[in-house]
Amino acid sequence: MEKGARPDPGPNISVVVDVREFSRFPLRRVAPIWWGIIGLIIIEMMVVLTFTASYFYLQMRADEWLPPELPLPDVIIPSFSLGILLVSCVTMYLAGRAIDRNQVKRFVVYTLASVLLACMVLLLRWQKFGELRFRWDEHVYGSLVWTLSGFHFVHVVSAAIGTFVIAIAGMVGYLNKQRQIGVIVDTMYWNFVALAWIPFYFVLYWVPRLI
Amino acid sequence: MTEACFDDSPQATELLAKTWQSPPGFFGWFTHVNQRKIGLRFIVTSLIFFALAGVLALLMRLQLSQPEINLISPDLYNELFTMHGLTMMFFFAIPAMEGLGIYLVPLMLGTRDMAFPRLNAFGYYVYLIAGIVLYISLFVGAAPGVGWFSYVPLADDFFTPGKGPSVWTTMITFIELSALTAAVELIVTILRQRAPGMSLNRMPLFVWAILVMSFMIVFAMPAVIVGSVLLYLDRTFQTLFFVPGGGGDPLLWQHLFWFFGHPEVYIILVPALGVVSTIITTFTGRQVFGYTALVLSLVAIGFVSFGLWVHHMFTTGLPQLGLSFFTAASAMVAIPSGIQIFCWIASLWGRQIRFAMPMLFILGFFAIFVIGGLTGVMVASVPFDTQVHDTYFVVAHFHYVLIGGAVLPFFAALYYWYPKVVGRLMSERVGRWSFALIFIGINLTFFPMHQLGLEGMPRRVYTYLNDMGWGDYNFFITFSAFLLAFGFFLTFYNAVVSYRTGDPAGSNPWNADTLEWATDSPPANYNHRHIPVVSSRSPMWDVARTGERPVVGGLRADRREILLTTVLDAEPQAAQVMPSPSPWPFFLAVAVAFGFVGVMYIPLLFVWAFFVSFLMIVGWLWPRRPWQKE
Repeated sequence: MEKGARPDPGPNISVVVDVREFSRFPLRRVAPIWWGIIGLIIIEMMVVLTFTASYFYLQMRADEWLPPELPLPDVIIPSFSLGILLVSCVTMYLAGRAIDRNQVKRFVVYTLASVLLACMVLLLRWQKFGELRFRWDEHVYGSLVWTLSGFHFVHVVSAAIGTFVIAIAGMVGYLNKQRQIGVIVDTMYWNFVALAWIPFYFVLYWVPRLI
Repeated sequence: MTEACFDDSPQATELLAKTWQSPPGFFGWFTHVNQRKIGLRFIVTSLIFFALAGVLALLMRLQLSQPEINLISPDLYNELFTMHGLTMMFFFAIPAMEGLGIYLVPLMLGTRDMAFPRLNAFGYYVYLIAGIVLYISLFVGAAPGVGWFSYVPLADDFFTPGKGPSVWTTMITFIELSALTAAVELIVTILRQRAPGMSLNRMPLFVWAILVMSFMIVFAMPAVIVGSVLLYLDRTFQTLFFVPGGGGDPLLWQHLFWFFGHPEVYIILVPALGVVSTIITTFTGRQVFGYTALVLSLVAIGFVSFGLWVHHMFTTGLPQLGLSFFTAASAMVAIPSGIQIFCWIASLWGRQIRFAMPMLFILGFFAIFVIGGLTGVMVASVPFDTQVHDTYFVVAHFHYVLIGGAVLPFFAALYYWYPKVVGRLMSERVGRWSFALIFIGINLTFFPMHQLGLEGMPRRVYTYLNDMGWGDYNFFITFSAFLLAFGFFLTFYNAVVSYRTGDPAGSNPWNADTLEWATDSPPANYNHRHIPVVSSRSPMWDVARTGERPVVGGLRADRREILLTTVLDAEPQAAQVMPSPSPWPFFLAVAVAFGFVGVMYIPLLFVWAFFVSFLMIVGWLWPRRPWQKE
């Protein structure tokens, strides 16, 4: 051991842990970014929770919830689009499995398929916005429907663009079994966006029917 | 052990220093990512905002010094007290505590940077821009004047047209971004980057406090973000969330705000408690009494603080049963707080305490905070609270709590860690004058406010009638406020002067036990020359006792590598290559700021900012060739 390199060598230094052979590509729960995305998801879950709680708070303090002139909200198309969203979680899972096996082409196909499914959801949602027979400034029910749908719409857009960028990273050959942490965390966020729709779907389309 | 993985030569040290160097120059400044640079920026910026908010307070005190004078117009007075509260809470207290955490936690854990260095830099720019925009709004007459909690219906566009509350909602959301990024970052760093052997039960109490604070931020702040988004929509798009005529409810705002706002108080307090434990350990020269009890109390305070928010709403006509629950919860928070106080007393008992500056501020904390706590127990009772609600009694109470619970420990921290950051000690002589003036100033300023409150003087009034007989008290308070301000000024002065003339500190001037004192003062670019291995709660005292310093070998010096360890036991697990300096965080912060400021004027700018921000994020994350191979 070299001593005297520093002005004051101080106490006797001894190496008790050697990390030369350690992986420099931590994956999944070993990677700090995995924990970071969990943090992001918890924050956004709190946002979803607060929106949902606000909905019920306002709903419980209202004498009548759905304005009488409005029909009950349609559940068929929204259920269909929820189904598509859940299927896209499966394609994302398959994409992750492909890159874990170094099958880059298959990975690109599955990610693009997921983006396509998300775009279908966005189209259906956009159409729904057009069909709404009330504006956000007529009653608080309208405010909530527009805000919650819009909030989630923006999330699907960002998840779709993010995943598209990941697909491009795959196309230029950056991603492989070792360098797949980007795919892992993107999938986690994707799953969150898809699952976050479930409480909104419930309050937007079922609560007015059940109450 | 093998020698090959260990290279202590001057060449290797130089290479390591070069690898971790922050780029010099003006443009280089915008690319810094090292946690010490960012942490120091947070601390210095927060102190500037502290001074600004202090000046606003003095202006208010001048207006109140005599009855029925018109030094400051009512509207400006509203803006002043709003800005004072906003700045102190969001632009001083939280960033100051986060800054301490960002600067110190990696040093205490024995690592070289935080988990997401670029995110760290982004958080700082967001904070800086939000603060600058807020103060510009004050000078162009667009500052919020609706109180720091921006209650509806006052904050609706019907009652307050103009940009004031919009500045409030957008800037609050914006700065919460900064707090949330720092919180996530601190959590991940604390859980994953501790030195080998530093299991959770050996973690310094300050780090525990920062961990609890970060979790509280993560769970509390989203509520106020949702609240401000809804208020923004109400003001800009005429949605009806808080408008009773359309089925909305103003009380929803109060719930959303205080669900965040009460934990917020403890978000500020909890790191301060960590500072207290740290300094008591050092200045008694013994491990603090009741480590486990102290940790559990911190965690308990974190949990209980989420069950208290309604005690800010005792006079809103909520059901009696609910009020009783929140009264009980408010009283319950006294239990973990009391346990902490008793542990500290036990730690101090029978020891030769070194009364250096940090310890003096801690003793000041005890006195002031306990008085604030006692009035807190008083206002936790609904009948008493109904009597003094919105009077100066409450003003007195929360200034005792916040100055005692956050500002004094923060100043203790300044004196305590200044030598580590600067390499020189602050002057004890000036420090003692400063402390004496601050301690006396606090009591002379805020204690008479209790009496004013009991006599019925309401908060947030720009003047009062001569016949009320409050003139003498108020004159006295104004005089004392200047005394207090001068006390704070002396510490600022001390910090500036000692930067050049202070006594050289050496690496461990206080003979403290935690790892930040193992580094040089100021620490080198790489923090720790070798990652230490820890086997107790007092690693520095172990080194002094045994003369042995076990370390980690095998991290490369030619690129930024850190060690990852397991969550509970801190067993070495993997290494991670860290990102290099980058201007993208700054670009992203500017793009997001354009979005936030822009939507106040043109709502559709949101779409533009969304896509530009997205491009910035891609630029930030996009891998650069040559791609990392091994």
